[in-house]
Amino acid sequence: MDIEVLIENVLNALTAGITIGCIYGLMCIGLGLIFGIMKVVNFAQGELLMLGMFASLYLVTGGGVLAFLGPYIGPFVGAMLAGPIIFIVGAFLHKFLIGRVSGLRTAGSIDDGHFGQLIVTLGISLILQNGGMIVFGSTPVTVRTPLSSSAFQVGPIFGDATIFLNKAKLIACAVAIVTAIALYFLLEFTRIGKALRAAADNPTAATYMGIDVDKYYRMAFGLGSGITAIAGGLMATYLSFGSFIGFDYVIIMYSGVVLGGIGSIMGAFWGGLTVGFVQQFSALILPPQLQNAAIFIVFLAIVMLRPQGLFGRSAERA
Amino acid sequence: MLEIKNLSVSYGGLRALTDVSLTVGEKQFVTVVGPNGAGKTTLFKTISGVVKPVSGTISFMGRDLLAMSASDRAHLGIAHVPEGRQVFKTLTVRENLEMGAYPKSGRENWTRTLDRIHTLFPILAERAQQMAGTLSGGEQQMVAIGRGLACAPKLLMLDEPSMGLAPAVTDTIFERVSQIHKDGVTVLLVEQRVAEALELSDNGYVLETGHMVLEGPYQTLLADDRVRKSYLGLTE
Repeated sequence: MDIEVLIENVLNALTAGITIGCIYGLMCIGLGLIFGIMKVVNFAQGELLMLGMFASLYLVTGGGVLAFLGPYIGPFVGAMLAGPIIFIVGAFLHKFLIGRVSGLRTAGSIDDGHFGQLIVTLGISLILQNGGMIVFGSTPVTVRTPLSSSAFQVGPIFGDATIFLNKAKLIACAVAIVTAIALYFLLEFTRIGKALRAAADNPTAATYMGIDVDKYYRMAFGLGSGITAIAGGLMATYLSFGSFIGFDYVIIMYSGVVLGGIGSIMGAFWGGLTVGFVQQFSALILPPQLQNAAIFIVFLAIVMLRPQGLFGRSAERA
Repeated sequence: MLEIKNLSVSYGGLRALTDVSLTVGEKQFVTVVGPNGAGKTTLFKTISGVVKPVSGTISFMGRDLLAMSASDRAHLGIAHVPEGRQVFKTLTVRENLEMGAYPKSGRENWTRTLDRIHTLFPILAERAQQMAGTLSGGEQQMVAIGRGLACAPKLLMLDEPSMGLAPAVTDTIFERVSQIHKDGVTVLLVEQRVAEALELSDNGYVLETGHMVLEGPYQTLLADDRVRKSYLGLTE
């Protein structure tokens, strides 16, 4: 292979890995937040991603309320608005279903409610997948923006080697980073964020402080749903999707969260970034069907070397 | 201030407390002593609302506590320093204290109470940015007590603050608790270190296998033969 072509391919895989990775990172934070704070393994997270995509689609296309924003700004505003909408969906799911099998209600029971959570979240996942097909139809759709078929060119850097930065993915990446940083500040420095972390750390002691743990868990589930939905809205600008798309991404989300370190919310971002990076890079040498296999090979390697994940603490002594 | 009447609590069919009554007056220091498994911690958890009683009443400053949710009770000015400290290990020392100040009364008096906490336990100012889980047992107990004080409580409930601590550290803790009481906080203490605990208190209760077997001012309890034999190891 020509050296210039090789360099061009590597540089483009690098930039694509970072842009896609940041969006995956945001998606993983949503799942990491729910697990990190509530200790609920949410199998329906992929469907929350899917709902985010459709929320954005219906907001910005056809007769949607954001249609006036046009195809350049609209899709990204739509993605951000998908967050609060799916936050509400998540809060309702928690109030009527997940809250019944998690939190203080099941704390100290024989399985801490995990069996119930498994069945409930899996059930929600199946209902949303198939219900989604009835409501949204079975034809793949996409949030069209002209930005997804145009690119910034950087270079030529070396000979003819040029980096092409897809505009839609670049903006999506920027939105993802800003959202992740905002969430970081929320968790780290606000009273709400500290109360969320206290409720995660020791729910009983948090109750003694006057913190309404169930209310904060509801907020955590809503936030986790909304964050993943924003990532979904962003992805909707560059890929076509249907009601079953969540399944493809729930696996990526879990690898990201485990790589980042279970329980570490911001670690999930770096885990997601790693997954996106490996996926894009493997495209250089592997056929597309094997991209997910590459993710899991790297996943296994990292987990063998660092079982607690990239940012997880090793198991605490009692 | 706190009035418990005929309280009975069961855990899955097992009776933990039977017909327990207890009164804590304004500015008093009341101690509940008793052996392991007597139901002392259950009593505290029931006051805090984490455990629900089968029968009986609990009122605090004229309010019926049993009609309120557990988290609402802290907002009345009841601080519970739980058994085994239970600090937020992944939060910094300062964040632990901030969470103690979660109720409105804590936020309004924050600078004043933080000063007071740092005067009582200067080490907490030094370790402010450290994760609470990395502290020693004694320091964690100080975080737990400081966290309780952060809401500017009317009633401070301490569940075995001496548990697992070296005797010298325990002495410091008891000395600080006595200081807190002198500053005007009502204290309800549960302890296994009976002599020290009773010495500090106005009133004492002896709890055995879920029953209140004795109560009275500390001189009366210290003079009681059963207390002298079983808890103080005095035989003469």
